[in-house]
Amino acid sequence: MALDKDIHSAFADVVGEENICDDPTMMASYFKTDFACVVMPKDTAQVQTIVRLCNKYELQFRPICTGWTGVFIPGTVMIDLRRMDKIIEIDEKNMCAVCEPYVTSAQLQAELFKRGLNTNIKGSGAQGSALLRGHGPMDQSCGADDRNHLAVEWVTPEGELVQIGSIGSSDEWFCGDGPGPSLRCLVQSTVPPSCTPGVFTKIATKLYHWPGPERYHLKGNSPNYSLIEMPDNMMLRYYSFDSVEKMIEAEIKLGESEVCYIVYGINAAMVSANVTSSNEEQMALFQQISGQVKGNGFVVIIAGNSQADFAYKKKVLEAIMAETGGESLKAVERPEIGEILMRQCTRPTGAIRETMRPGGTFKSIPNMGQRDLTVRWAIGAGEAKLPLIEKGLIVDDGGGFFGWGVEHGHLGKTEIFCAFSPMDSEANKAVGEWATEQGARAVEEKYFALTMSPLETIDERTGPAVSNYHLWWYKVLDALDPNGVIPLKGVSKLTP
Amino acid sequence: MALEDYAGDMNMCCRCSACKFIPLQMVSGFTHANVCPSISRYNFHFFSGGGRLNLGAVGLEKGFNYTPWYLSSIYNCQLCGACDVSCKYGMDMEVLLPLQALRIQAVKDGQAHPELQKVVERMTATGSMVPPEGAKRGDWAKSLGLKDAGKQKVDVLYHVGCLTSYDKGMQKLAQATAQLLGAAGVDFGILGDAETCCGARAYEMGHEKEFLAQAKKSMELIKQSGAKTLVTSCATCYQAYAVLYDRFGLKGDLEVLHTSQLLADLIEQGKLQPKNDLGLSVTYHDPCHLGRLGEPWIHWEGTKIPGDRFIFDPPKTYRRGTGGVYEPPRDVLRSLPGVTLTEMDRIKEYAWCSGSCGGVTDSNPEFAQWTATERIEEALCTGAEALVSTEPWSEKLLADTIAANGGALKVYDLVELVAQATEEGGR
Repeated sequence: MALDKDIHSAFADVVGEENICDDPTMMASYFKTDFACVVMPKDTAQVQTIVRLCNKYELQFRPICTGWTGVFIPGTVMIDLRRMDKIIEIDEKNMCAVCEPYVTSAQLQAELFKRGLNTNIKGSGAQGSALLRGHGPMDQSCGADDRNHLAVEWVTPEGELVQIGSIGSSDEWFCGDGPGPSLRCLVQSTVPPSCTPGVFTKIATKLYHWPGPERYHLKGNSPNYSLIEMPDNMMLRYYSFDSVEKMIEAEIKLGESEVCYIVYGINAAMVSANVTSSNEEQMALFQQISGQVKGNGFVVIIAGNSQADFAYKKKVLEAIMAETGGESLKAVERPEIGEILMRQCTRPTGAIRETMRPGGTFKSIPNMGQRDLTVRWAIGAGEAKLPLIEKGLIVDDGGGFFGWGVEHGHLGKTEIFCAFSPMDSEANKAVGEWATEQGARAVEEKYFALTMSPLETIDERTGPAVSNYHLWWYKVLDALDPNGVIPLKGVSKLTP
Repeated sequence: MALEDYAGDMNMCCRCSACKFIPLQMVSGFTHANVCPSISRYNFHFFSGGGRLNLGAVGLEKGFNYTPWYLSSIYNCQLCGACDVSCKYGMDMEVLLPLQALRIQAVKDGQAHPELQKVVERMTATGSMVPPEGAKRGDWAKSLGLKDAGKQKVDVLYHVGCLTSYDKGMQKLAQATAQLLGAAGVDFGILGDAETCCGARAYEMGHEKEFLAQAKKSMELIKQSGAKTLVTSCATCYQAYAVLYDRFGLKGDLEVLHTSQLLADLIEQGKLQPKNDLGLSVTYHDPCHLGRLGEPWIHWEGTKIPGDRFIFDPPKTYRRGTGGVYEPPRDVLRSLPGVTLTEMDRIKEYAWCSGSCGGVTDSNPEFAQWTATERIEEALCTGAEALVSTEPWSEKLLADTIAANGGALKVYDLVELVAQATEEGGR
């Protein structure tokens, strides 16, 4: 249904007629959802005005940046932040970069590489916003999740402009906690993705040292690119282990030794997806390397700041692998495979190949927690996938899961997904049930309580295990959003 | 294949947005990361490859509703294929083919773009994509004494193309090509006034039926000439004869070469010897039709294997832009004395379109010029004095845009530079 004429005019007065569309036919292009309209602001002031108009006209809204997934409700206003695409500042001294929401990770990283710096690109890939929260292959050396967010410019659900952290009291963005108001607990904690409280219009992200080249020089044509020359201070291996216990032991030792740039625990199916350019190639390589991988394993990349540093890191790596029985996968030692994986991990572009290429869609259970616990849970979740694989409902990945330690510590990210066809309703139903069961099992068997999922996955069984934080979150939202413009209803089963 | 045949592909789109950017491994900075002119100019997701696939998937399910916004989405696209290449870095699915099918469907449903309709009607009536305006197609060759391939047997048929034949500013390209072929001792001829349009632009405009009729006419003339090889200086014509005609079973065993390929061979064989120092710094624009769209057609027919994966029996080999004509023009440029080639950020399979594809120069000239302006700015970033290309439609748009906006960047066709480098008495 198109917008009321007066409301349309009010939005058009802000962004210009060419930047608002309320043609119902076109809404299908946005997540196949019947939004009330799509509106594209160009700056923070326009975002504020749009949000205030939403309050005035009692319209709920959702913002998106690069937009891969999310929870979208028919009838809401889609604020597409695509026109807000500037890198505001790269502060080399304070090691932070300030970006608008539509700067991609690939763009920011390319600029940073030139300066010997890097940013933690999330696992969803380099096409995603540079401002995303989450985890990625470089969690070991580039922080992770909300810890990389520093100062933030935030348009609240009522349209107020709040500057959080150092930018609140100075013109610098280096810190999220001050000097200035610290509201990180509100905007950067475990905010479920279904109810972002307002719009984040600029965020400073923490930067890290990059020991690699200013740019990867590639030859060949898409999708068969290859490095002209492997950097002489970088090395990649894939190690697998007889037991999960040994893998965790190795992961922790590597973390404590701080020798790795990347420790990236992807399974054999994901390794083969990353380095191949078609489903058929992937299936063949998966068959080939499955027999060579002992059990669970991980990609390791070491990168030296000098040849002496590189030699030291290699020596430590080899010693730890000898202690823990890590066995290097020969296929990955081949330069033509190793170099692809090197690029796919440091300029992450593998998620699409891993999750979407096989079937067209996937459903995932991500978690951040104590690695030894989350991995044990994931083994069970993987075994629970096997019947679905046998029925041909989901893609055969051997029941694999993935994950890694974060910031050299014992905490880490663990995730497991099922890939399947978006046109297969039976598969969709079966995977949904699998996800619900495995989420509940995590609580019931006292592994952990899901903290990274939308509110929709929290129910009477799991809520108490997380101190019913969703109920507290609703109270906070009530205060922030008196006019109810954040679309919660229909998202959570427990909406008050 | 009809639109319905791409339902699976259209439903595969995961909205990752890779179709909006150059292959991510090639992003080398903040600038020049975009690859799709349409989404870059108009911003709404329905101006991207993925957004259009979503519209197509829903349209197949619920019916197509040709609103002004929908038609704007369908026609404000160069169909340059950049989205297809970027998507297929990660995915196994068709992007460009369903987008073309959406446009063809619109025409079938009586929703042809009025400006494009006029162009196609002109083609059907005159055999030309550009208005002849009283001139004859072979006028450019009047004083050259070239062989008439319609009457004399020749090894190679030089197909000139509509724009080069009729546009007075472009005729020098035809004359230079003929001069070089002659100098190299190639046994070639032209069809002159009898030559007719390849029809490719009509296909891109969504007029499949008219394209096929025109293609049959054109192929009939070529067959009558008896030439086994067709060479053309127009990348659009090259893509038509080499790829589109093959796709629709019209090409037979005709060998199709772009001038850049033939010149590269002739120079390598020593039959052409560039000797004059041109003293020129250049950058090269890969025309979409010679580059990613010039990749040979891969004939395939099969069915999806039931189950979890999007795989087929027999296995499908996707065209991913890998096999376009990228090196021959560069080899030629490198062979020219005094010419230094500096590459732009977006090249080969992920080159930014000049703006001239897909009928956009006729349906939305402002958008075509906006796209060209982006390319010109990118070329200027290299510091080159000249932008070289291998397609007259691109060259005309780029040159016209520079003329309209002002600027010192020169635009050359590759053939012109080879002619300068080989002419007697040159520098």
